[in-house]
Amino acid sequence: MAKQTFQGRPVVPGAIQGEATVSKQPLNPTASYVDNIWGGNTEAAPCTDADNKDLYQKDLAGIILCTPQTIGSSMGGGAFMLVAELDLAPKAILFSSHIDAVGAAGILMADIWQEKPIVCVDLLGDEFLEALKTGDPISVKEDGTVEIG
Amino acid sequence: MKRRDFIKAVPAAALAPAALTANSKEAISQQAQADTAPAQRGPHHLLTKRPAPNGAPEFVQHWRETDMDGIGPDGKPVPGYKSTRTGAAPTKTSYDPSEPAHEMELTQEEQDILDGKQGEAKAKVLQTIKRHGELFGATKLVDLGANPHTSMFIGSAFMGPFLKIFSQCADEGLKSYAPYTINPRPVDLYNVQTTQDMELMMFEGLPLQAEVDHLHVRLGGASRNKHSCMCYLPEVGNRPEKGSNVCWGESSAINAINSMFGVRTNRNAAGMEMLCALVGKAPYFGLMTDEGRKAKWLVEVKTSGEPDWGTLGGAIGEKCVEDVPYITGIAQYLDGEITEENLHKVKAMGAATASSGAIGLYHVEDLTPEAKELGRDLLVDDYQTYTIDDAELKRVFDSYPNVWPEDVEKPTAAHIGCPHNTYKELDIWGNAIHKAMKDAGKDKVAVQTVMYCSTVVRDHFFLDNPKLVRDLYAMDVRFSNTCTVCFAGMKGYSDGNFAVTNSNKTRKYSNSRYLPEMEDMLHVIVTGEMPA
Repeated sequence: MAKQTFQGRPVVPGAIQGEATVSKQPLNPTASYVDNIWGGNTEAAPCTDADNKDLYQKDLAGIILCTPQTIGSSMGGGAFMLVAELDLAPKAILFSSHIDAVGAAGILMADIWQEKPIVCVDLLGDEFLEALKTGDPISVKEDGTVEIG
Repeated sequence: MKRRDFIKAVPAAALAPAALTANSKEAISQQAQADTAPAQRGPHHLLTKRPAPNGAPEFVQHWRETDMDGIGPDGKPVPGYKSTRTGAAPTKTSYDPSEPAHEMELTQEEQDILDGKQGEAKAKVLQTIKRHGELFGATKLVDLGANPHTSMFIGSAFMGPFLKIFSQCADEGLKSYAPYTINPRPVDLYNVQTTQDMELMMFEGLPLQAEVDHLHVRLGGASRNKHSCMCYLPEVGNRPEKGSNVCWGESSAINAINSMFGVRTNRNAAGMEMLCALVGKAPYFGLMTDEGRKAKWLVEVKTSGEPDWGTLGGAIGEKCVEDVPYITGIAQYLDGEITEENLHKVKAMGAATASSGAIGLYHVEDLTPEAKELGRDLLVDDYQTYTIDDAELKRVFDSYPNVWPEDVEKPTAAHIGCPHNTYKELDIWGNAIHKAMKDAGKDKVAVQTVMYCSTVVRDHFFLDNPKLVRDLYAMDVRFSNTCTVCFAGMKGYSDGNFAVTNSNKTRKYSNSRYLPEMEDMLHVIVTGEMPA
């Protein structure tokens, strides 16, 4: 695929590269991390949200997650914090939309209180997700620039 | 091992105390099961059971906790859902790195806190709320007044990381700037006629509840008798004055105080409201600003009579999502003023706007304080219009799915009050149930019937109405201070219980069917049958 560059806002800045894991529908953290939160799984983070056809049963640990925003319980930030504590959080979360208050709370607290930063960029635009599919190479720069392809 | 198998494996001695709260037929049945159990493990094991590794309990997939969720009635994400979940549309839709980074201005005192001069925990608290606020365009921090309210109340496993953080704060001596109120506990082991199966689920599903309760005591939380989502009722006493800046959790309470009383707060994710309480400051953006309180929707209610308030709120929430609506055509049903006599109607509408959408503030023409002062000047120039007539209300109500299994026809419970009942509602419902039962010549309600309210509101009602309460108790009507949504939404409960409710919010978060007409609810309570 041809290289494309998108500019987002660095919420938790960082430079990483790898393969994209795409969820075209918003991520529901509390539904996705049931196995870690309730099941005692400390080895992997299999997505438990059966309504998310893009991610269901995929291991979310260490991925570069690309999604519009988060939805679900207002305690969803705690789900990010819990998998961060287990070192099973995504390496990065890239939002096409404006970050929402719940996702922001968990991602910031993981960074500030747990010192387990999850690189995060928002405002990448709808075109970002339209152009991307799971497995595509992706790199993120400190300034929020995201290159795919 | 499945949970039911586990229960069968527990000895009779372990079951006996909990069985005291179950009704006698169920208790006998459970006892019989236990008597045949081969395993010999004690009650400590029963109460400290944790989910098995790599196998979460079956009920947690559907454990509903709160709202502002972007999930539709079918339990799936709403297509195209976009919301900052702060109650205010995003101030930015794209990012230009050539522009200077947005940073809020801090006072010297705030900078000192950030620099750690008042301790490490307080510095982290301030850093968190500063960075969080800047993401949503906050220009400064504002000092908070009145009293906080928190929705950080559920002792599920999600709470673990929060507990660590806030325990560190408490260890360093941080407390809320003022005493605060707390949402209703998600569990009631006394008043909702729980079976042992349900009690097990409560203990297993809420393993951190005691730690959450303890933490709130350390941080300055109010007594458990005042736990309520309706903290702004006179009996509970947390009603900030108009114009006060606060930082609250709980979407229905935020929606109510912003709208009914002209208080200023954004919608906050669980945890953020407590961080703000610990420093007495909140980021200034969105619904805290004059601009953010302007209405993007003119909602014209043109029904032929008084609308069903829950469905009306549901319609507005679905249409406006998190934009502020300016609502006309309903003040005449409320005598032009919000009083303790009619507050429950506005509450029902507002809570539904907040659960079917993510609305944190609404204005009602000739009714709410800012609408009375500013009128239609509250509308932005390019507002949109939404007209709600009888047909539109019917369309919205008819869209609510019946999520009971096809072979279930009879209800098993009636949940009254979500958000929590006011005194006036207890009065209305208590007398209505009493009369309907007497008229039908019935001694006992046909289904589990619970009215949800804070303990202090219940006490007020009990003291004023001892004979009525005695009769209601004899009929097996109960009063509970737990969270209706948490109770009705427990998967293990909803697997075998099919409730009706007078709350559109409870409908949204459980398998309960919404019956807005009081006569229909009474029919279920008296006969155990759904209305024709």
